[in-house]
Amino acid sequence: MNKIVFFVVVALLALLPVLWPDPYMLSVVSAAGIMIVAAISLNVLLGFTGQLSLGHAAFFGIGAYTSALLSLGFDVSLFGYLLVVDPKPVWVAFVSGILVAAAFGWLIGKLAFRVRGAYFVIVTICFAQVMRMVALNWVDLTEGPMALVSIPALTLWIPGEGVIKLVSKSATYWLVLAANVLAYLIVARLVLSRFGRAAIALRENETLAKSIGIPVTRYLIVFSVISAGIAGAAGGLYAHTVRIIDPEVFMFIYTITMVIMVIAGGKGTLAGPVIGGIIFGLLPELLRGVVAPEVQWMLYGALMVLLLLFMPKGIVPTFNGLVRRLRARLAREKTAAAPAKARGANA
Amino acid sequence: MCNRKKLLAVLASGALFASQAHAEDTIKIGVSQPLTGSVAAAGTYVTNGARLAADYLNANGGVLGKQIELVVEDNKSNPREAVNSAEKLILSNKVPVMMGAWGSTFTLATMPKLEEYGVPMVVETASSSKVTTSGNPWVFRISPTSKMEAQAFAEQLSAFQPAIKKVDFLSVNNDWGLGAATEFKAVFEAKGIEVGRSETMAPDATDLSAQLAAIKNSGSDTVIVTSGVEQLTLAIRQAAEQGIKQRIITTGGSFPEPLVKNPGPKGYVTTHLLFFSPWTAEQQAANPELAKAYMDAWNEKGYPFPGLTEGFRGFDGILTIAEAIRLAGKAEPEAIRDALWKVQVKGVNGDIAFHQEGPEGKESGQNKPNIYIVQLKDGEVSAL
Amino acid sequence: MDQFLQHIVNALVLGSTYALLGIGLTLIFGIMRVVNFAHGELYAFGAYVSYALVSLLGLNYFGSVLLAGMLGLLLGAAIEFLLLRRCKLENIDEVMLIMIGLMIIMQNAELLLWGGVAKVVPTPFAQESITIGGIYLSPTRLFVFCAAVVLLIAFYLIIERSRLGLAMRATFQDRDAAKIVGVNVGSIYTLTFALGSCMAAVTGALLAPVFVVAPTMGDLASLKAFAIVILGGLGNIPGAALGGFALAAIEEFGSGYISTAYRDALGFLAILIVMVIRPQGLFAIKERVG
Repeated sequence: MNKIVFFVVVALLALLPVLWPDPYMLSVVSAAGIMIVAAISLNVLLGFTGQLSLGHAAFFGIGAYTSALLSLGFDVSLFGYLLVVDPKPVWVAFVSGILVAAAFGWLIGKLAFRVRGAYFVIVTICFAQVMRMVALNWVDLTEGPMALVSIPALTLWIPGEGVIKLVSKSATYWLVLAANVLAYLIVARLVLSRFGRAAIALRENETLAKSIGIPVTRYLIVFSVISAGIAGAAGGLYAHTVRIIDPEVFMFIYTITMVIMVIAGGKGTLAGPVIGGIIFGLLPELLRGVVAPEVQWMLYGALMVLLLLFMPKGIVPTFNGLVRRLRARLAREKTAAAPAKARGANA
Repeated sequence: MCNRKKLLAVLASGALFASQAHAEDTIKIGVSQPLTGSVAAAGTYVTNGARLAADYLNANGGVLGKQIELVVEDNKSNPREAVNSAEKLILSNKVPVMMGAWGSTFTLATMPKLEEYGVPMVVETASSSKVTTSGNPWVFRISPTSKMEAQAFAEQLSAFQPAIKKVDFLSVNNDWGLGAATEFKAVFEAKGIEVGRSETMAPDATDLSAQLAAIKNSGSDTVIVTSGVEQLTLAIRQAAEQGIKQRIITTGGSFPEPLVKNPGPKGYVTTHLLFFSPWTAEQQAANPELAKAYMDAWNEKGYPFPGLTEGFRGFDGILTIAEAIRLAGKAEPEAIRDALWKVQVKGVNGDIAFHQEGPEGKESGQNKPNIYIVQLKDGEVSAL
Repeated sequence: MDQFLQHIVNALVLGSTYALLGIGLTLIFGIMRVVNFAHGELYAFGAYVSYALVSLLGLNYFGSVLLAGMLGLLLGAAIEFLLLRRCKLENIDEVMLIMIGLMIIMQNAELLLWGGVAKVVPTPFAQESITIGGIYLSPTRLFVFCAAVVLLIAFYLIIERSRLGLAMRATFQDRDAAKIVGVNVGSIYTLTFALGSCMAAVTGALLAPVFVVAPTMGDLASLKAFAIVILGGLGNIPGAALGGFALAAIEEFGSGYISTAYRDALGFLAILIVMVIRPQGLFAIKERVG
């Protein structure tokens, strides 16, 4: 049942550029789509392990910078040695971006899970800030605030057409959609696995989970690595579609955007970050030109506060709850009606 | 207060539409500027200047017998949003020409879109050399690069007595500050002037005492400071507080206007490289009448006075675009681009015309703007 | 040598204001377990109050600091009463995100109200610096330092010597036990948040003539406040005061002798190191983590 819904939704989304080929709309949706991949990755940590990372933009940025730098090539002197890296094929760079982000995920998982709660949050914030400072000040490598420009687009080999660059609006859209589907399936698979069940046990009751022999830290690190890797992929997508990156990719507001997407949609659900991402990804564009720019941000903040106050579980769980209650009531009415009929027959 | 201003604007634009027979008979110009985020203040000034230019032109009959309509988008001080606003302007509003996008990174992010859709853009603020050297034939810049500014400054070196022998740098840590430091260093080294310490400051830093304490004993006689209005104000005030003896010269066209009303210690002199100086416009400006018209319109709207040194960029940008549309004879992207090469127009900064820069066959346009040097002492501004 | 002494003087002045910023944040966290991301915005609020009163209404600077403190107190109480009380502070992450939402709202409200242009508040003191040997210190900064020290002491006395402080410390140690012995935890929360906000607003107003007043000033203040609080140990009040001075010293000497480009990075790096080695903070004697 769920599988059918999933395929129908994906198929409909894939048809969007054909049904409604408005380039502006496609570009807006693609931009939101990249943030949705990032939100899916954040949900792995926040939703399934209960750890709030407010430095998630760091993994996004690391993926973006690694992929961009490798595809452009760079030379940098390190401890007196000159390291020269020639431009690599764009997909090699992209995958490397994911791997490097995942490696940092491992490091941060290892370091940060020594501390929990507010401490973990602050470690992640600091990590993102330090990364931003490095991107800003290691000018030899990253060009610093001068930004990395002319980043090549991703390519695709199509039989008969050869290798094409994915630059057109529709191509970018499909690319982002594919990334979303892949990220979604990976997370779905993860949640159903042994790791997923362990993580949920952990989230619900850590002491109990530990006492029945779940190696807590190792599981958390696995989640941290996967989460960082997917965020790195989102960063790579960003770098190769916007085709310019500067240290602003590490900005706090990006992390906030991801977090609010997850929280609004419903953390710990598969569809949550997608629904939240669609709302908060498209909201700024819908508000564009309707109200003053400052007011757009204020509405954004107000919506965030209201959602947290009145729907802290998020849209998807609230909706599911409604459906469940409705079904339960229908079932009750049915069972209530059945005995009455039976009695009527007896009489 | 703010609401009343907005109401007036709405009424004014309503009146404007009412006076026209056909509302669709306007020529649209897209403007992408940072109206929120870290550089919102400067972006708002440039947008104000652009609006004044549109009013000024419309009051004189518009272009090709049509009124000019500005479509302003906020690029949120962010390259990704700069791309979004450019696509919105080009694809959704169908503007044939744009002005933007303030910072170099926002401009560089926008540039591939110009090439993709074939729409020209007049660049009004960005100073990175990459904007005009990366081979984008749809870009026309009226603002100077840091290199042009450094070279113009080098010609004026003899005006400084005692002569400059050794300089330190204090630059904001972004493309603009670092770019300026690099270009000025090159010029100083070519002139045989020693270059000492190079300190940077984060764009949002407010306490610069550590940087200044480090510069104080470096043995230089001049400090070149590059940053926005707020940080310049802080840097100069804190330099005076810490008894920095070096001569302070600021670059990039920003002016620490708050120091006019709240001057530092008596007798403390600072020097500033400006692209427009409202205080000395009468004696210095290349086109004093136009400068006066611009300043009068600005004051009439009640825009803040310090914005005059930034707002002129928007004013000149729109004048340039309007002239190109007039020369093109139609509001179509390609025709406007070809016409931009022929533009010869008087601007607030000076006469605007484009020469070719960048790789052959894909040249971008670059204007050679004027640079004015002024001194600030005890709240008084004077031409150097 | 002069440069070294100048760095020490600078670090002391900067540190005193950092300490003031940090103790409010750490008080709120310690007692309420709220990570207050809007702390920097309350700092900006204080600065804008000072600007409105001094530059627009021509009021006295000292009076404006006092009034900014009172308005900060009220605003803090209002935030606690209207927002925090509703979410019952059960989930630390949710509360954190609510405060981030509030931060976005407040910052953009400032932008809408005052515009992005930085405002200047004139100083009531002489512009010429006091010089001793080769060391320079402006009278305004000297005043800010003295005021900050007085406020730090006053704050310490409130917490350690007053009945209110006693109730706060009781709530801090064990909320339920405090309830049983008759502490009204609700009003302690309101007072705590109000007092913390008041400290932030006073700091903003005090520093208004030293720096400039701009809508984005709160971001930096928040980040610094977090750094300070972590260096000192979350919820540790004397630790936050010391953390303020420690951060200022790291920044001053780091940028004086290592690199100005990494000035802000040094602070964050220090936090990461503290987190790995001594997560309870540099100055904590003993505290549970997480």
